[in-house]
Amino acid sequence: MALLQLEDLHACYRTEVYGISRSVRAVDGVSLELYENEIYGIAGESSSGKTTLIKVLSGTFKPPLRVESGRVHYNFGSFAVDMLSIDPEELRQNVRWKQISYVMQGSMSVLNPVRKIMRTFEDIVRTHQGIADKKSFVEQTRQHVQRLGLPPDVLDLYPHQLSGGMRQRVAIALATVFHPSLIIADEPTTALDVVVQRGVLQMLKEIQNESANTVLLVTHDLAVHANMADRVGIMYAGRIVEEAPTAAIFQRPRHPYTAHLIRSLPSIGDKTIREGLGGAPPNLASPPNGCRFHPRCPLAIDRCRTEVPPLTTIAPQQRVACHLVTEAG
Amino acid sequence: MRKFVLSYLIPRIGQYLLVIFLGVTLTFVIPRLSPNDPVEQQVSQLMMSGSQVSPEAIEHMRVALTEMYGLAGSPWEQYWAFWGRLLRGDLGPSLSSFPTPVNQLLATAMPWTFGLLIPSIVISWVVGNILGAIASYYENNRVIQVVDVVSQAVRPIPYYIMALVLLAVFSYWIPIFPFSGAYPPGARVEFSLSFVLTVLYHSLLPLLSLVLIGIGGWFIGMKSLTSNIIAEDYVVYAENTGLPRRQILTQYIMRNAMLPQITGLALQLGMLFSGALIMEVVFGYPGMGTLTFQAVMANDYTLIMGITLLSIVGVATTVLILDLIYPLFDPRVRIQ
Repeated sequence: MALLQLEDLHACYRTEVYGISRSVRAVDGVSLELYENEIYGIAGESSSGKTTLIKVLSGTFKPPLRVESGRVHYNFGSFAVDMLSIDPEELRQNVRWKQISYVMQGSMSVLNPVRKIMRTFEDIVRTHQGIADKKSFVEQTRQHVQRLGLPPDVLDLYPHQLSGGMRQRVAIALATVFHPSLIIADEPTTALDVVVQRGVLQMLKEIQNESANTVLLVTHDLAVHANMADRVGIMYAGRIVEEAPTAAIFQRPRHPYTAHLIRSLPSIGDKTIREGLGGAPPNLASPPNGCRFHPRCPLAIDRCRTEVPPLTTIAPQQRVACHLVTEAG
Repeated sequence: MRKFVLSYLIPRIGQYLLVIFLGVTLTFVIPRLSPNDPVEQQVSQLMMSGSQVSPEAIEHMRVALTEMYGLAGSPWEQYWAFWGRLLRGDLGPSLSSFPTPVNQLLATAMPWTFGLLIPSIVISWVVGNILGAIASYYENNRVIQVVDVVSQAVRPIPYYIMALVLLAVFSYWIPIFPFSGAYPPGARVEFSLSFVLTVLYHSLLPLLSLVLIGIGGWFIGMKSLTSNIIAEDYVVYAENTGLPRRQILTQYIMRNAMLPQITGLALQLGMLFSGALIMEVVFGYPGMGTLTFQAVMANDYTLIMGITLLSIVGVATTVLILDLIYPLFDPRVRIQ
């Protein structure tokens, strides 16, 4: 049984200014499943709908972001939750942080600047579990951060006294206090230098190994996915264009967009200039007909311009949305 | 600690003393740049009153007045003498109610102003900030929307206009409050329950006019501060972690939005010494504002200087205290 079943999700940002309404479809027909005990990576360039998708998945969306249709169904073993119809109070008390925790993009500034780190832990634990004995809570928290390789003394500091890497680790430590079923991490390493990045990613991986939960890792950095993810989904203009186990996607990308992405990665010793891709991602307020990638795709055929390619399973665990692949069989 | 004293506290206090020194010097210089010669003014007033005075007596008086006003000798000598008297805490006699010392006039007026302004500043700060934060966080609440509209409407009204309106409504049309004064004319100023109640009754309209306008100002300020804080990552994060809304409002939003408001509060409290001039005049309230007004109308230089000096010291001291305690409110401002 999948932990998450996401079916045909359509979500858009709708704004109305002076009676003129504008709608931007940031997620347009995404379906995917997350299983227990895996790291699923979502990749894609800026404005491909990654963050919108996880805002819906984590139940943290509010206007102007709206879900038009789709189904977001979680199965946490003991109980199931439909994210789009759940009562907000029930979501807050039973699901948030206990089952789904969310390491936000820009974790550098997610800590209250006038509160010591320990107080933030205290707030969260008090809300979801209650603190009967302050002393044992402090002891447990110190052990928790120490297990994750953080010096326990950071708990007595204010956020501005920590480095960016430390703050990111604190954010991850906060996300794992209750060992949730799903940890959503949105660009957890983007603002960090590579050495710190490695430490943060290792920490995330160790946590996942230890508690065998699911991590949904969102980043535009394919190198991170290559090192971390079990499966990778590639998003382009609000849709998933390809999904496959990590090894498969890097060895043999099927979608032309994925192929270009992977070809753009540098490899050691190779000094040839990387080939760029002309054009820019489409404007989601008026996306092109057919396959959304066709204006930039060097292999595009007539069918691509008119007909939307469906996401088709071409091998076990491997799905791709491209007419060329499905036509060739 | 040692480092704190040497590298922060001592320079900061030095800065404080410098500000006061410059302020005092300016209070000394500015009246002397005025074309009005207080001695000649006094003398001509006397002559205009028509009384027959011999030229010798006038000359005698001139010398005596010059001495008394501290205008004898070269500017440097005057300046020295000025500081000498000041450091002894002597602000000289008031000219308009000669020979009452300025000190005594200030001491009589100050409690009235403090008693009226401190509660009104504190009440409007607390209420305005709480309402402002709530208004921004619970945007869709009907009651709050009404408060918002009222505040926007009240805020631009000058407080003395508000005072006049309140007087017209509550003392003239519906005569339930007294027209003026802090107590009935002729009442003995004493510390008894009945007298305190009378004072409260008399102070209600002035207090109301200050509080209404004050709340409007703090409300609007806090609302816009809060609407910025609400979009901060740490607030969104706190919501994502499922913290109760009330806790997010108080400990995450208000706690951070309040920081600039604390500075504003301190500055207002520093202005206490000059009183709320027009409001006090409108209500005939015997505080610093009325005293200032009378001093200006009567060309009472020593009194004006006394009030100005007090304000300078008041503002400089509150700012100094604020600087020293601000790290308690915002840990990011640790003193280097």
